[in-house]
Amino acid sequence: MAEYWGVTVADIFNSMPERFRPEGAKDVAAAFGYDIKGEGKWRLTVKNDAMALEQTDDLSGCVATMAADGETFVGVNVGQVDATNAFMSGKFIIEGDMAAFGKTGRLFRKFVLAQKEMTTKEYLADMFATIAGRFKPDEADGLEASFAFALGGAEGGQWSVFIKDKVCTVTTTIEGKPTVTLEFNDARDYVDFILGKIDAQSILASGKAAAKGDINMMAAKWPLLFEKYKDPLGGNVKEQELLTLKKTISINQRFATGPVMGRFLRGLKDKKIYANQCPRCGRLQLPPREVCAECRVRAADFVEVGPKGEVRYMDVVYYAMPDPLTGVARETPYGSINILLDGCKGNETLPHFIRKDQIEKIQMGWNELKGTRVRPVWEENRSGDIWDIQYFEIDE
Amino acid sequence: MAQHKKNRNVGIIGIGQTKHSSHREDVNQPELIHEAVRLALQDANLTMQDIDCVVHGNMELFEMVHQPDLWHVLGTGAYGKDCIRITTGGTVGATLACASDNLAASGMYDIVMAIGFEKLQEGHTTGGITNMADPLWFRKIQAGALTGSSAYDVEREFGLERANRASLTYRIIMDKHACLNPNAHRAFGLEFSQIDDLIRTSPKLVGELKLIEMCSQSDGACCVIFACEQKAKELAETPVWIRDHITVHREETFNIFGYDRKAPVIKTHKFAAEQLFGRNGINDPLNYFDVFEMYDPATWWAIDWLRDFFALEGDEHLKLIENREIMIGGRMPINPSGGVIGSNPIGATALIRVAEAALQVRGNAGPHQIPTPVRHALASGFGGTMWTVMTMLEKELNW
Amino acid sequence: MGKRLAVCAVAQIKNHPSYHDLRFQNMLLECFEPIIEQTQVTFDMEKGIRTIITCSDDVFDARTISDNGITDVVGAHFRGEEKIAQESINGLGYAMACILSGHDDVILFMGHCKESQGESRRMVSNLAYDPFYCRPLGMDYHNVAALQARAYLEKSQVTDAQMAKIVVRSRKNGAKNPYGRENKIVDEAEVLNSPLYADPLRELHLYPVTDWAYGMLLCSEERAAEFTKNPVWITGYGSCMDRYFLGDRELASNFSLKNAAQRAYAMAGIKDPCREIQVFELSDQAAYQLPMWAEGVGIAEEGRGGQWLDEGGMETFSVNLSGGQLNGNPLLLGGAARVIECYYQLSRQAGLRQVKGAKRALAQAATGGAGQHQAVIVMEAQGG
Repeated sequence: MAEYWGVTVADIFNSMPERFRPEGAKDVAAAFGYDIKGEGKWRLTVKNDAMALEQTDDLSGCVATMAADGETFVGVNVGQVDATNAFMSGKFIIEGDMAAFGKTGRLFRKFVLAQKEMTTKEYLADMFATIAGRFKPDEADGLEASFAFALGGAEGGQWSVFIKDKVCTVTTTIEGKPTVTLEFNDARDYVDFILGKIDAQSILASGKAAAKGDINMMAAKWPLLFEKYKDPLGGNVKEQELLTLKKTISINQRFATGPVMGRFLRGLKDKKIYANQCPRCGRLQLPPREVCAECRVRAADFVEVGPKGEVRYMDVVYYAMPDPLTGVARETPYGSINILLDGCKGNETLPHFIRKDQIEKIQMGWNELKGTRVRPVWEENRSGDIWDIQYFEIDE
Repeated sequence: MAQHKKNRNVGIIGIGQTKHSSHREDVNQPELIHEAVRLALQDANLTMQDIDCVVHGNMELFEMVHQPDLWHVLGTGAYGKDCIRITTGGTVGATLACASDNLAASGMYDIVMAIGFEKLQEGHTTGGITNMADPLWFRKIQAGALTGSSAYDVEREFGLERANRASLTYRIIMDKHACLNPNAHRAFGLEFSQIDDLIRTSPKLVGELKLIEMCSQSDGACCVIFACEQKAKELAETPVWIRDHITVHREETFNIFGYDRKAPVIKTHKFAAEQLFGRNGINDPLNYFDVFEMYDPATWWAIDWLRDFFALEGDEHLKLIENREIMIGGRMPINPSGGVIGSNPIGATALIRVAEAALQVRGNAGPHQIPTPVRHALASGFGGTMWTVMTMLEKELNW
Repeated sequence: MGKRLAVCAVAQIKNHPSYHDLRFQNMLLECFEPIIEQTQVTFDMEKGIRTIITCSDDVFDARTISDNGITDVVGAHFRGEEKIAQESINGLGYAMACILSGHDDVILFMGHCKESQGESRRMVSNLAYDPFYCRPLGMDYHNVAALQARAYLEKSQVTDAQMAKIVVRSRKNGAKNPYGRENKIVDEAEVLNSPLYADPLRELHLYPVTDWAYGMLLCSEERAAEFTKNPVWITGYGSCMDRYFLGDRELASNFSLKNAAQRAYAMAGIKDPCREIQVFELSDQAAYQLPMWAEGVGIAEEGRGGQWLDEGGMETFSVNLSGGQLNGNPLLLGGAARVIECYYQLSRQAGLRQVKGAKRALAQAATGGAGQHQAVIVMEAQGG
């Protein structure tokens, strides 16, 4: 199986049971499919706060399936690929109920790349091999010095670093009289020291190491002469933790309708639809407004219209915006329609919804061509609200 | 020109913007603003001492902060200064530019700093947009700020296939521009060869409007410094002059769905363009302007508005797109920055259009600079219930 | 182009505890119609109103871009509308810029606020504070005012008894204002015994919850005569922003107001406000702010607010004859209310409150807790 950033597609799936979060599975009871091109298909079933995963070609009955290539799938999971960018540019596709698939985000803890290990010996070799590359010649103007390292223990060794004429050389012996010598009982401590896991003070105080000769050369000059060593595993700096403050801000409101909007809403209670008419240009507004915007005059004459009319335009909505008050998103797809009620003309339409199962049958109007005729379906108990009309349905 | 000859001319002398992104969790709101402010001051070679007035704007309900300019003083540097706060929804960025122009031209202030920003990720963006609607009825039933009607219009007139191809061509051109703009938020590296694929696979949101065709939601800030003529000439090598601007709003009800030729719908941007160009004696905007940073919330609107802004006929606007004349290097480059589809920190977005147009006039926009000299630039803003703001920028003071 | 702005007409509804039967569109319409009627101004693109400036607040209105709900009522359909989302007084400064720049000739300026709509205006002002530190501490404009009050009362030797007098006076004056909020007339004992809100401020020390709307027609000097025989001039505007964290500020220093006033005076050519200005309208959201803002605009000596009150400063300088914001104007609209009162005074329409021979007036208002952002307007009567 192919590796991306050192991780295979199977790694991601195999770690799912361990990364599973039962608290994220509350209210989830569905099967999700994963179709990873060239790698295989998996089916994730979530029910009763538990999950089951199997690699299978049968993805029937999945409420949604994600299709992607291996690189994108792994990339998104290890944080190397921005999920939103990938989705928007079509690198992965969700077939089926997108909103349902969105819930899988809460089901698993983040996938974390397993740390590879490096031995003390490997670290030491790497550290001293990179010294020449980390040397900053401009800091060594006029300097002639040698640094000796006597690092004990099974994986230890000896090294010398010579600086002369702005050139740096490294040997694996200690000869002559070094300017300064660092002695460590255990080479591992030296590695930890360089990796920033222990500080000089602690080492020297605890007797784990000793410095002989020009100590200042080591303490003050060395950090200027060489760039800091970078751990190839990159894991010794803890990533900053993001503290998140989540708060829903809510201030209760009592909205006044005023006499104009009030008349309209009151009318709905009585199963009547009122528009207002401009005394100057005669246009109707639905729902009524305090003025005619075009004439800039008060428009207080009310005219009853409809209740039936024709659909002039319909939007089939696949992606529903959640209600800001409840967070609930309408089930999709739904049909948002603009109805020209009887008595209205031109653009004097009223927006509402078409009965879900009739979306396919709607014909939109166009110039003289009339759109499908519809009628409102009223609520039994009305309260003076736009939802007193549940929806419109075809007027047969 | 506006109602009268301008009291005194105003030029842009400093521009700064953050790299727009979906996750600026590393900074809080004043810090984000401060990044842009610092960049603008650096660009203008000024310090806060030189600024007389700060103009601040954003859509505060997105971050749920009341009077945010008060807290943001930590990042705007407005301490001790005059400070005006204006908001006009999505057009606010453009309004900030117009307001700064008015403030500096009036003689009341010599150097004005406009700051637009948004940190959408801190709030609930779609909830914020839905909350625009009248709580008594429309908010309960609205589909949000999305409609497929502009796609429907283009499709109706030119057929589904041609319409879709034009939309995706436009989208890919915007993406190619965004790839050249280091500050752009979304730059995917799309190719024209992907058009058919994207038409097929990009999820539909409403009607024919697809995900790939919609603008982003971004966090970002933009800061632009304006100065009166005398100071602008002293302080800047290439001040970019504001020639004129216009704002056109319309009522909140969307009475535009009649689809009856007897009741044509007048759009604010058509009206704004006619008024602005008319009073400035510009009869052929397509030839007059060298570049246009247009506020394109979605590809379909962009297509439609190209025709209205430039007073084109028939399918001239589609041809501009199909022949890629709107690309950098083409006859009428549109959004060399990648546009709103590329980055959309709402409170800053319209100001970024002005900033990017100014960068083009200056000639130092960077990799997305158009190759030919820019003497006349146009920027537009869009927002609210289909409002339009337009600004004209000039290289020379010779109108 | 002249250096001053003409106020040609004003309109307002009554300040009211709760317009529960009107939505803000209705409230604004009541202000829109009289202005059109009075001035016969049109919306013609050449000769009429092309720019409308509004003032309102999304959080109070509980609506994103709340000005989109009023576009039609303020006549902004196919015209420009710009919303000042700050204290209304700044809208006048901005209108001045629009007109002096040459961009516009005639501007309609309208604003509204319904403090009664939300369950608590304190919850609204709590949202002005940053979500990490000040907001969770529960800061809002009222308790922050209390902190400032404590500092100011001590510095300027203003007493509880004096604050009580200010409240009593504001209601008496408000009663003479036909558009003033109708409040119970109280006496000093009632004020001194009113429940503590945030020490040292008591309930009656704070302005009551109010709904209001207004409109004004502003225009260039050259065209004022077209709309009114009796224009009132705006000759100066200045504003200034203070620091955000309370600990960074010298709460009793009037830093922002002093600067704002100086800038307005400079623009208006005022050298000595005490002698040159006869009427002062100060937005006192809490009783202590009247003498404090008086010090800030220079009619009371710094640190001597208490003495100034005892010496009858409020009458000498005709301060807040309208009742001030203390009698009741919504947050963010105090400035407009102050300007409107100055307009009445300078055009001799102030009725029982008229100051004889008033030539110049000053209006002041603040945005934010403890007056973080302050602005000042200087006005002049026709005929200087």
